[in-house]
Amino acid sequence: MSTKAILLGNEAIARGVIEAGCEVAAGYPGTPSSEIIPAIAKWADELGTRTVVEWGANEKVAFEMAAAASFAGKRSCAVMKQVGLNVAADPFMSVAHFQLKGGFLLISADDPGPHSSQTEQDSRFFAMFAKIPCFDPSTAVEAKEMVFDAFDLSERHNVIVMLRPSVRVDHCRQDVELKDVIDISRPASFEKDPKRWVCLPSSVKVNHPQLNAKREAVREEFETKFAKYNFEVPAKGKAKLGIIAAGVSFSIVTDILKSWGVDNVSILKIGTPHPLPLKMVEDFISRHEDVLILEETYPVIEMQLNDRTGVKGRWNGWVPGAGELLPEVIEEILCKVTGRKAPEGASPKLKKAMEELNITPRRPMLCPGCPHRASFFAIRQTLPKAIYPSDIGCYTLGVNQGMVDSVVDMGASITQASGLYMAYKVDGIEQPIVASIGDSTFFHMGLPGLASAVYNKHVFVLAILDNNLTAMTGGQSNPGIGDKLRDGDTGRKVDIEGAVKGCGVKWVKTTGAYDIAGSRALVKEAWEHARTHEEPTVIIFRHPCMLLKEKQAVVPVMVDPEKCIGCKFCINYFNCPGLVFDEKLKKAYIDERFCVKCGVCINVCPHGAILGTEGEEA
Amino acid sequence: MQYVIVGIGGQGILFSSRVLGHIALSKGERVVGSEVHGMAQRGGSVISHFKVGDYNSPMVKAKEADVLLAFDQNEAVRNLHFLKQGGQVVVNTHEASFVDNPSLKSWLGERDAKLRTILGYDILKKHMGGRFLFLNVLILGAMCGAGVGSVSIDEVREAVRTLAPARFVEDNIRAVDLGYEGTR
Repeated sequence: MSTKAILLGNEAIARGVIEAGCEVAAGYPGTPSSEIIPAIAKWADELGTRTVVEWGANEKVAFEMAAAASFAGKRSCAVMKQVGLNVAADPFMSVAHFQLKGGFLLISADDPGPHSSQTEQDSRFFAMFAKIPCFDPSTAVEAKEMVFDAFDLSERHNVIVMLRPSVRVDHCRQDVELKDVIDISRPASFEKDPKRWVCLPSSVKVNHPQLNAKREAVREEFETKFAKYNFEVPAKGKAKLGIIAAGVSFSIVTDILKSWGVDNVSILKIGTPHPLPLKMVEDFISRHEDVLILEETYPVIEMQLNDRTGVKGRWNGWVPGAGELLPEVIEEILCKVTGRKAPEGASPKLKKAMEELNITPRRPMLCPGCPHRASFFAIRQTLPKAIYPSDIGCYTLGVNQGMVDSVVDMGASITQASGLYMAYKVDGIEQPIVASIGDSTFFHMGLPGLASAVYNKHVFVLAILDNNLTAMTGGQSNPGIGDKLRDGDTGRKVDIEGAVKGCGVKWVKTTGAYDIAGSRALVKEAWEHARTHEEPTVIIFRHPCMLLKEKQAVVPVMVDPEKCIGCKFCINYFNCPGLVFDEKLKKAYIDERFCVKCGVCINVCPHGAILGTEGEEA
Repeated sequence: MQYVIVGIGGQGILFSSRVLGHIALSKGERVVGSEVHGMAQRGGSVISHFKVGDYNSPMVKAKEADVLLAFDQNEAVRNLHFLKQGGQVVVNTHEASFVDNPSLKSWLGERDAKLRTILGYDILKKHMGGRFLFLNVLILGAMCGAGVGSVSIDEVREAVRTLAPARFVEDNIRAVDLGYEGTR
């Protein structure tokens, strides 16, 4: 029986994972992949499968857990975002060489644009690097379908298979057909075989040529047996222009040509960009005078061609080498290639209206009431001359408060603090440094850096901003919380303070994030201890994330216009959506559309202009 | 029918496209759309695309939207370029005077676009204790009241009844109706 539902792309992918009989799934949240793992748990609960689905502490952990489940013969999958695959790159490259047992699907979600990432790298390139097969869906419906074929292909060739949805597939919403679960359950059975499961150099001598052979066998299948993903949309009559399109670009280009009423262009849709069905692609190229390649974000199809000199793509600048291929971008490329008149750009009238109305894009900000804002304020007030390396999470938005000086990747707040300390140590200069990291990020990759800093006696303060949630990605659990995903599945909370002490940190104290005065005293003490004892110190700032909607004191506030001198201190140092500046009156005021009445800003104004208005609130 | 729904992260705009999706599906229509998740949801500009009919791409191209639904007037102006000739806009407003801007008026005239405003914050403050989270359904009611879009007020009520959390159903319906009355 099948029914239809409107699903988020990630929910459709998750549904495919469960329908395909996957029994072990692990991941780490990261936009645009975050909804997949919770949806796998949801479908497993709804459909009553035995699937074990978990968050790992990071992507490497998740990948390795899922891989080992495949060693034991289970269908398994690992889920992450593109930069998460960087973290999992080590096991990924090794396991690519293995003769796997259970089907193993790697879902790596890309973020062209990027919308919520530090790079817009192309996971398909990683598939090419590891020499493994990759599916590149154009729609949510296709992504779900590809999950089945990926598991099947993986099991037939004993190789990892990647599904690479881009953000527009992950976060599209589409009507999707729901089917029943295929029952492929088989008992876990790990067969001891060191030659197969131990990655010694001697095995690579066997496995690498075998991997090459697998790739060519899969390529042959992609040439002939995957017409549902690799197919030609023929033109009416003879086409001069042929477009090779993959991923969401295929969906966009077909919609544009349709809306133009153009049917003298043929399109070759490629759903399996690696290994590229080369004969099919080269045949298509040979039949067209002019060929354009549209793919995101890197030239993966382009670079696999034996001769790309005859095609229009990224190598010769017809397609931009960075950024998302939005409908407007593809339209412009199509206009250039076909000699059609380009659509008019931004209207000068609209531009003028926006200038006159003083409208600019709204930058992301920490939520009203966010505890990080208060923590950052207390740190900056206490150690204004410090350098503030920070990390990946909501608190990266502390950049608006001048509290984030550098961010590299997950966990690098701590290692940057170490590196900065080392640089100033060379010159014999004592430089205050306060690093900030969230609870989930601390477990993800903070621990090795902290152990290293203790070992090497690095002098800095580490602020762990514990809001009891992996918040930026929408509110997932992590080891510091202990909740698990499936109904009835319980975990255990890992104590942050214990982990910090376990790394060898001698001075660690906890403060309530809203308690600005208390936090300031601790920051001062922590820095004094660090510099006098030559060791890192840790402050844990605690307050639940606003997304958790936990009950807290309601403290309505107002700005007294008599006392406000218009210095903008509260705007620049506190930066709350609920506290805004009236440029005409030159006074701050509370924007009640956004204020959540946390009352923290009462302690912010140096002129005492922000007042509690107790009694007025029902 | 192509919708663009814009607002500020945290305003709950995703629920509005879910309601539209539910209605379309119940009528057997094909739908595809695109949402924003992640960093922009933290108070930044957010945009949701929603298309009913025979489309592949989840995104609305500039100058192709039939309807622009805006939870915030600034976001409305920033995204007007999505509107097609003769398109329609429904905007939640906090300072209604923005519509008097001559450049804006002239642009809307050229594009033959109809713009309707609703003072959503004021209405929710007056009638629903300032619970601004109900903006997302209020604006759907306002859209129907203004006779914009491809769904009826009864369909919206029915879908909201199905999709809203049980204990907030009545409040949601009330907000839908307040929106509907506000633009009718």
